Amino acid sequence: MASPGKNLKPEICGLKGLNQEPDDKNQLVDKEAGLSGGERDMAPVTGNSIHRSGSRPQLDLSKAEIQGNFEERDPTILLPNQSDDISHLALDIGGSLIKLVYFSRHEDQSVDDKRKRSVKQRLGLSNGNRRSYPVLGGRLHFVKFETSKINECLDFIHSKQLHRGAYKDLPHWHSDGPENENAIIKATGGGAYKFADLFKERLGVSIDKEDEMDCLVAGANFLLKAIRHEAFTHMEGKKEFVQLDHNELFPYLLVNIGSGVSMIKVDGDGKFQRVSGTNVGGGTYWGLGRLLTKCNSFDELLELSQKGDNSTIDMLVGDIYGGMDYSKIGLSASTIASSFGKTISVNKELEDYRPEDISLSLLRMISYNIGQISYLNALRFGLKRIFFGGFFIRGHAYTMDTISFAVHFWSKGEAQAMFLRHEGFLGALGAFMSYEKHGLDDLLAHQLVERFPMGAPYTGGKVHGPPLGDLNEKISWMEKFLQKRTEITAPVPTAPPGTTGLGGFEVPLSKGETLRSDASALNVGVLHLVPTLEVFPLLADPKTYEPNTIDLSDHSELEYWFTVLSEHVPDLVDKAVASEGGTDDAKRRGDAFARAFSAHLRRLMEEPTAYGKLGLANLLELREECLREFQFFDAYRSIKQRENEASLAVLPDLLLELDSMNEEARLLTLIEGVLAANIFDWGSRACVDLYHKGTIIEIYRMSRNKMQRPWRVDDFDAFRERMLGSGDERPPPHKRALLFVDNSGADVVLGMLPLARELLRRGTEVVLVANSLPALNDVTAMELPDIVAEAAKHCDILRRAAEAGGLIVDAMIDSADGSKEGSSFVPLMVVENGCGSPCIDLRQVSSELAAAAKDADLVILEGMGRALHTNFNAQFKCDALKLAMVKNQRLAEKLIKGNIYDCVCRYEPSH
Amino acid sequence: MDLGINGNGVNSDVQSDSQISHLALDIGGTLAKLVYFCGNKKLLKNDEVQSSVKAGGRSRTIIQGKLHFTKFETSKIDECVAFINRKQLGSHHPKDLDNDRIVVKATGGGAFKFADLFKEKLDFCLDKEDEMDCLVAGANFLLKAVNQEAFTYIGGQKEFVQINQDDLYPYLLVNIGSGVSMIKVDGNGKFERVSGTSLGGGTFWGLGKLLTKCNSFDELLELSHQGNNRVVDMLVGDIYGGTDYSKMGLSSTAIASSFGKTISTNKVLENYRTEDLARSLLRMISNNIGQLAYLTALRFGLKRIFFGGFFIRGQSYTMDTISVAVHYWSKGDAQAMFLRHEGFLGALGAFVNYNKQGHDNLILMQQVQKHKPEPDGTTTEEEDSEYASIDCSVYID
Repeated sequence: MASPGKNLKPEICGLKGLNQEPDDKNQLVDKEAGLSGGERDMAPVTGNSIHRSGSRPQLDLSKAEIQGNFEERDPTILLPNQSDDISHLALDIGGSLIKLVYFSRHEDQSVDDKRKRSVKQRLGLSNGNRRSYPVLGGRLHFVKFETSKINECLDFIHSKQLHRGAYKDLPHWHSDGPENENAIIKATGGGAYKFADLFKERLGVSIDKEDEMDCLVAGANFLLKAIRHEAFTHMEGKKEFVQLDHNELFPYLLVNIGSGVSMIKVDGDGKFQRVSGTNVGGGTYWGLGRLLTKCNSFDELLELSQKGDNSTIDMLVGDIYGGMDYSKIGLSASTIASSFGKTISVNKELEDYRPEDISLSLLRMISYNIGQISYLNALRFGLKRIFFGGFFIRGHAYTMDTISFAVHFWSKGEAQAMFLRHEGFLGALGAFMSYEKHGLDDLLAHQLVERFPMGAPYTGGKVHGPPLGDLNEKISWMEKFLQKRTEITAPVPTAPPGTTGLGGFEVPLSKGETLRSDASALNVGVLHLVPTLEVFPLLADPKTYEPNTIDLSDHSELEYWFTVLSEHVPDLVDKAVASEGGTDDAKRRGDAFARAFSAHLRRLMEEPTAYGKLGLANLLELREECLREFQFFDAYRSIKQRENEASLAVLPDLLLELDSMNEEARLLTLIEGVLAANIFDWGSRACVDLYHKGTIIEIYRMSRNKMQRPWRVDDFDAFRERMLGSGDERPPPHKRALLFVDNSGADVVLGMLPLARELLRRGTEVVLVANSLPALNDVTAMELPDIVAEAAKHCDILRRAAEAGGLIVDAMIDSADGSKEGSSFVPLMVVENGCGSPCIDLRQVSSELAAAAKDADLVILEGMGRALHTNFNAQFKCDALKLAMVKNQRLAEKLIKGNIYDCVCRYEPSH
Repeated sequence: MDLGINGNGVNSDVQSDSQISHLALDIGGTLAKLVYFCGNKKLLKNDEVQSSVKAGGRSRTIIQGKLHFTKFETSKIDECVAFINRKQLGSHHPKDLDNDRIVVKATGGGAFKFADLFKEKLDFCLDKEDEMDCLVAGANFLLKAVNQEAFTYIGGQKEFVQINQDDLYPYLLVNIGSGVSMIKVDGNGKFERVSGTSLGGGTFWGLGKLLTKCNSFDELLELSHQGNNRVVDMLVGDIYGGTDYSKMGLSSTAIASSFGKTISTNKVLENYRTEDLARSLLRMISNNIGQLAYLTALRFGLKRIFFGGFFIRGQSYTMDTISVAVHYWSKGDAQAMFLRHEGFLGALGAFVNYNKQGHDNLILMQQVQKHKPEPDGTTTEEEDSEYASIDCSVYID
């Protein structure tokens, strides 16, 4: 359907990356929001130079009720005269907590520049090529409130206008019902009935009650299929994420521990049966705990347990056997023979026992019992996997340990308890899934990106105060936290490692202090749904592919990278602030960024699994996301620009030099050049220091001259043989090469472009693959066309190829939308990779990259981020060349047993 | 040598001799159980010995008497000691050759813990018997030798079950003491502890004491009779507005969450009736044990589940709850069975073990239990009269 908004949109931008004009900036903002931007949907931007003006077409077209909608940022998808469909919000109203899942939609592409159009044309790419209808990108938010404070929840919904159906334009979400006051919100949980009138009264919406079990199962199935590393095991304080094979997911046992416990055998989507349960559940823990300890909240009770010693309450085997084990039947002296068996003592009353001990004893009794009954049921039905969820668990390490221990103990190690990161939101998510045809049910893991923005109430954490209206409020919120000397509580850790003991039966090793008061909140970020992301088709085995080379579960490794990143923060803040003109506003945002990013680092240092499975790539991306969250969209903009210009100035000389060589010498020099130019990297501290010592070409030449073979990893001969052959035999050229580029400036201009030119000269199509969003000084897909155009001025090969690829418009041909089908030259193209990180996870790349990969038979990965930190061990279906200079001593030692500035030239022919 | 069942009555032409007594102990975490035999010595005629005891042509003494059952709180072990002392129990036991102490069979954790106490106070040398061995030996003895030992309890109706002795094994024995042991029994001396739970009698009493300030286990049980758990437990109907969750087969009166209603913010412990708390606690624990027992029986393909141990104590409500749980979870396929002497399995097993280990003079015990089926009916002069004593005879070399 044609969008009036789109038609009204001025035709701008595209080829002007180096000379941003105000209008272009707007477009840039749009693009970022569309791809993966931070939590800017929460932050309406006013009075700031980079924000869009009030005269956007959007305002002309939108209806009155959505004008106040901060989240809507893209005009092109707003259609008038839509029905009031509000299917983007679902609730799970439980006895103690209200869980809310809502979806904020944004179009995935807002920039329809020439490059994109030409790429689409050439690659035969169309919107939603994999579906009959387009699924629009968006974000799935997870928020919770205490049921007793339901008014805060209502205020939240109201302030964000979630009930007003701001996204009623979604073609597949249409409601055919009358324009109405009969708007409906899907809800589950006991409170769905209880509060129905309140919702009607306050928000004018009706609650449509969904079956609780249906929702639980639907939620669990969605999570287990769609989110990578959703499930984890938790033994003896150690959390380990589990990668599940979707084809082997069913059947499984889902144990939902709410007030009571339900055990559900799940055989497939919508196919399940409640096979068992127990009345000894979370309500029992809290109910008995309240009676016995006078705690005021469940969380308080849980926290007490952390400092408890149950040996004063429970009768242990050792108590009965005078301190000895009952080894004949495998019971150790510390095994609990009888929960609360010691409180029968005649001369003690309730007041004589410590509430901490009572809480721990209760917790163990109930967790252990649930684990045991669950295992017996799994066994009975032959189920290999048991997933535990529900509010009782709440990410509480000790509870998980106890349940795990019980399952392990009774199964003699054959079964494992697994937990879900989004466990508290199963019901709400299931209710959300129950809206018909929202198109989310067949989303796959590669289309979901999880982000952990700062600030209440962005994540699944508790809501602290009213929702933040804009960036300004968010910054204030950050500042407040610093003053209070409290740590950021938005993305919350479960608990630091090592707080639990040797297993369910043992007393926790460390007591008290280590558990934070907010430990029961969930570590859930915002799920970004990017339907255009795909798995890179050239991966040899996507199932076993692991992007990260460095395993951060090694604590010293983690510590090292945290230090590196922390030390880099001040410099980064300087650049970021400068990139925004050094204004007071920019400084304030810079401080907020530093605070937020440091808080993330501290949290992860404490609990490396707080945000799910953590790799170096995730860490580096987190930094970029954090920058974007505080609206630093391109901290290295001016540096990139300067270096591009300087490099382009010396490029003609370099090309002349290369053209004077024979083919064989040229190939070697080109590879040397790529490696040498890779020294220009603002992500490397060592290199930043170097820059102060010379001009670009000097450093480049010096660097290239030092490129003495053999390199530390040197497969050049194999590569040369594939390119040039041996003897008389000359192998056919590659059909199409994908060149994953890295840094701006010399790296791309003096390194990769000449290599691309060589490939073009040999008749190979070249696709330059660059970031969708800025990350450090990496060149972006937006910037590349201008760089190529500039380079092409001095080189016919590049010019013709760029014209063939639609990157520059041939002056001879009058082409507003000119087709280049007639061109006989092999094209040079640019595609975006779909990410905004210095690394790349090839399971989640843009659809245009995926399309470009179809005919490709050579992949060249360049630079540390994409060839070493990630993908060093990646296997491809086609020939692959990985080129990088190692600009980090530790990485050099670890990865190639070498030293800083050593080079990697790894060539792996297709299998 | 095995226990032969002598279906005959006790021989009447007894030559009265001195009173004789034997005892065995089961000292658990909560209660100390005592089984003792009192009887009069009588000389068997030689042919009677031949016919009943295939032990060569030796002359035997048969003692006819009664097996008594009594218990004490472990915390008041001194009362137990005093009782033994008063009755001069064990005075006819053989003595340990090394230290000249009276050898008494004992089981349970307390047999270790209180060994010194018994040595000091009674000059006993406790001969420790494995707890599980004793439980199983006791149960096997009862199930084979005593008529009308096992019964079901459904809807307030007690019904004795006749068990074909050839078809007894395998069965699941659930012993509910302070904790709970679940034992798969495949034959005499052939068994395995396959499961258990820490939510047992000790939990009921311990939590119950904290919640109600009761002074004794019995008082707590008594309270539970008068309680209404709906005030304390969250029922399915409470969640679903009074309606069943029929889709899942849950009736509105099913307990969704034990103690689930006590999370109410405006009430504290003192606002609840102790009767209701006791009731809720009893149901929680009984129900849980019943469920675990059924799942365990199912796992090993066992048709019969016998519940024993001190927690049950012939309490109709307890038995009812366990029966309902087994019935519910098995969808009627399985039945809970109880033993009249449930509390004394261990002690009885220890007693039986005098025989097994070929102790010098106490060879064989035979039941001739012709007692009233109702344990609480007629009483004798003994303090332990609430447990049916068993008429039996014991052979002595």
